[in-house]
Amino acid sequence: MDLESKRIVRVLIVLSTMLVGLVLYLSYFEVFKADQIESHSFNRRQWLNEELVIRGSIIDRNGKILAYSEKVEDIQSRIYKYGSLYSHIIGYSHKEYGKSGIEASYNKLLIDDESNPIRVITDKITGTRDKGNNVILTIDHELQIMAEKKLKGNKGAIVLMNPMNGEIYAMVSKPDFDPTTLKENWEDIVEDLESPLLNRATMGLYAPGSIFKIITATAVLQAGNINEIYECEGSLNINGFVLNNFRNTVHGEIDLEEALVESCNVAFAQMGLQLGKNNLRMAAEKYMFNKIIPFDLVTKRSLFPSTTAMTNPELGATAIGQGKLLTTPLNMALVASAIANDGLMMKPIIVKEVISPEGKSIKSNNPHTIGKVCEAEEAGIIKDMMIEVVKSGTGTNAAIKNTVVAGKTGTAQNDMGKEHAWFIGFAPAENPKVAVAVILENAGTTGGKSAAPIARDLLNAGLKKFE
Amino acid sequence: MFKKLFSYRVPQNLMVIMNSMAVLLLYLYKDRLDRFVLISGILLIFIIYMSNFILLKVSKGDHYIFLIISMLVSIGIIMIYRINPIYGFRQIIWFSLGILNFFLFYFLVRSIKHWNKWLTFYVVLSLVLFLSTLIFGVRIKGATNWIRIYGYSFQPAEIIKVLFVFFLASYFTGFRKIKPVIFHGIVYAYLGFLFLQRDLGTAMLFYFVFTTISYIYEENRKLILYNLSGAFIMAGLSYLLVNHVQIRVQTWINPWIYIDSKGYQITQSLFAIASGGFFGTGIGLGHPEYIPEVHTDFIFSAICEEMGIFGGIAVIMLFLIFVYRGFKIALQQNNKFFRIIAIGITAMFGFQAFIILGGVMKVIPLTGVTLPFVSYGGSSLVSSFAALGILQVASEELEWEQEENHGFRIQKDS
Repeated sequence: MDLESKRIVRVLIVLSTMLVGLVLYLSYFEVFKADQIESHSFNRRQWLNEELVIRGSIIDRNGKILAYSEKVEDIQSRIYKYGSLYSHIIGYSHKEYGKSGIEASYNKLLIDDESNPIRVITDKITGTRDKGNNVILTIDHELQIMAEKKLKGNKGAIVLMNPMNGEIYAMVSKPDFDPTTLKENWEDIVEDLESPLLNRATMGLYAPGSIFKIITATAVLQAGNINEIYECEGSLNINGFVLNNFRNTVHGEIDLEEALVESCNVAFAQMGLQLGKNNLRMAAEKYMFNKIIPFDLVTKRSLFPSTTAMTNPELGATAIGQGKLLTTPLNMALVASAIANDGLMMKPIIVKEVISPEGKSIKSNNPHTIGKVCEAEEAGIIKDMMIEVVKSGTGTNAAIKNTVVAGKTGTAQNDMGKEHAWFIGFAPAENPKVAVAVILENAGTTGGKSAAPIARDLLNAGLKKFE
Repeated sequence: MFKKLFSYRVPQNLMVIMNSMAVLLLYLYKDRLDRFVLISGILLIFIIYMSNFILLKVSKGDHYIFLIISMLVSIGIIMIYRINPIYGFRQIIWFSLGILNFFLFYFLVRSIKHWNKWLTFYVVLSLVLFLSTLIFGVRIKGATNWIRIYGYSFQPAEIIKVLFVFFLASYFTGFRKIKPVIFHGIVYAYLGFLFLQRDLGTAMLFYFVFTTISYIYEENRKLILYNLSGAFIMAGLSYLLVNHVQIRVQTWINPWIYIDSKGYQITQSLFAIASGGFFGTGIGLGHPEYIPEVHTDFIFSAICEEMGIFGGIAVIMLFLIFVYRGFKIALQQNNKFFRIIAIGITAMFGFQAFIILGGVMKVIPLTGVTLPFVSYGGSSLVSSFAALGILQVASEELEWEQEENHGFRIQKDS
């Protein structure tokens, strides 16, 4: 082949590569990007489909209708019966402002857009396709009302769930907003510095404080070669950084159980130093830190700081749930649930089932595990410690008559102001039915004082329903 | 004979089947059954079948390029008809005119020799067309590249494309020697005029074709480097100085923040492509009408929505095999002038397809050029068919005298 022909072939190769590149990009676009772009609120196609069908209802686990659509003279309107009570679970479906919550993640099923194209055509001819599917939540309306009441006036979040199968019974995030008056209040809602649109239960990132000690304790149990007795003088100096106990309480000689029950920072910081940053990180990642929790609502990942540049003082602070650690209330509810469930963490479920207007089941979410945080015996040891916390330690306010409650309190210092009050726990300890995570943002009190009573009332109410 | 007429192995019979099905779909999709669809459809099928049939009889050259193009035109007409039946019917008329033009140029170019001696003519004619666009031009869609005559508007740039290829071929055949400086001056004048008309896509296209041909034929290799660096400098300067270039780049990097203003078109295009899925919504069941200018620049997005990603890939693959056939023609042609013509015309269509396909998919900044043979537009279709007629000539063995030193180049058709 002469030079000219060679060059011609080269140009052909370049042009072909460009065109093949377009084919590859188009396939990539379809597989990875199309869904996200298609559901953009400016895509008028989704609204067009929606006008043809009456959007499905959203129903609680006992059949109570929480949101539904009405068609009056061809104009469809969405009715949220309980206003702001479900603002972060159900969310909103609005022509101008798009969608959020279940309205967004189950949009296609709610407007029955996933049925096969042949059915769509036949329905178009016969005119039968006029109702979307109904979504049944795992939420219990009464527990949801109660949880909302408990949190009223505070900022924060509550997650109440079944530790054995991951079903969420109640999930509240405050402050909230009313989806029925979204249009009127949009400006205020968006500009509000307290960000009412944010679902704090799944996306709020908080310092965990002492409730993280459950994770440190898990790491200690698994590591094996750690001291069994720690010396607590009320404060600990790590390379010049002083770490204090709450009110500088001196515990003297203390073992792991006593350290957890009394929430002794000094002992846990020592454990952290002995464990080393990698062991601690691995334990935290088993509890879904640095991972996305699969869920029907948008979740943020909890953060365990990068270990490459972690210094000893930082490691000590991390071991007691401070430092740069951040977690979501949902994640912490899963931590309590995993201990309750012999070390198995269940995938959180908020949608139980989707049923067609005729009552046929279209999709159901069955429980499945997303990970194993520790062995059953280790979970049992930690459970016993958590029982002791409620019996005689920092969490006595969570105790329920005639029922053994396991729990852990937390009081997290943070950059945003006063301390967050945390409580996570479950009951009954011997056969767990409900697990809970409560956080009061910037409460300025301890978790034992303010979060534990709320958790107790919710656990109690849950037990009455599900025992 | 009879057997051959109905065999599915004959490519044009396959096209008849495909078109019949598509026309049937169009016929059923309309709310009231539209007889006009059937008439247009039969007309379309007849034109394609007959023109392929005639071509087989008259030309000994490549028969595949015309088939490929017939397929592209069919897809285009079906889509345009579905978007707007009036445009669809007009496009069928333009298609027939295009085919007439194809044969006209095929016979004209084949019967006249020494096309390479008319360099000055090509340049002067281009200049006249450019100047008349600047003087009589009407502004449509932000670009002043249309002339309106008796109610019909046409784009002189479509004719200039062919003239430009002829000009490049004449220069590199070297019959009439002009100095490289003057040659480059003329090339950059072409680009300058296009830039003045705000026709950035076509300017880019001319530059690509120029670079391609000079890469193959320019003996002074340094000049190619100079041209490339010059292009980068020009691109950088125009980004800094020209507002509409900046807008194109901004809406390419992130159109979503301008979704209700300057990013509207491209985001609507992405919605359409994303909404179709792999198999599309089906003809008539999508909403390509949400995209502004869907029947011209954004026809590909409509194809992706209703015929699916696979439909879109098919269109790209058709261009790919067209480019392959075009370069194959160039490799087999003995006459240097027609070799360059074949490369020029093929590259022109190939790059043009890439520029607009990449644009509507947001792979490269969007510039308004039509998708050759698919988009709606009379002047584009008719002049594209003229170019195709010339390519058909280039695919034949020409028994003209060789003006080259290295004699015959023989390659077996494989």
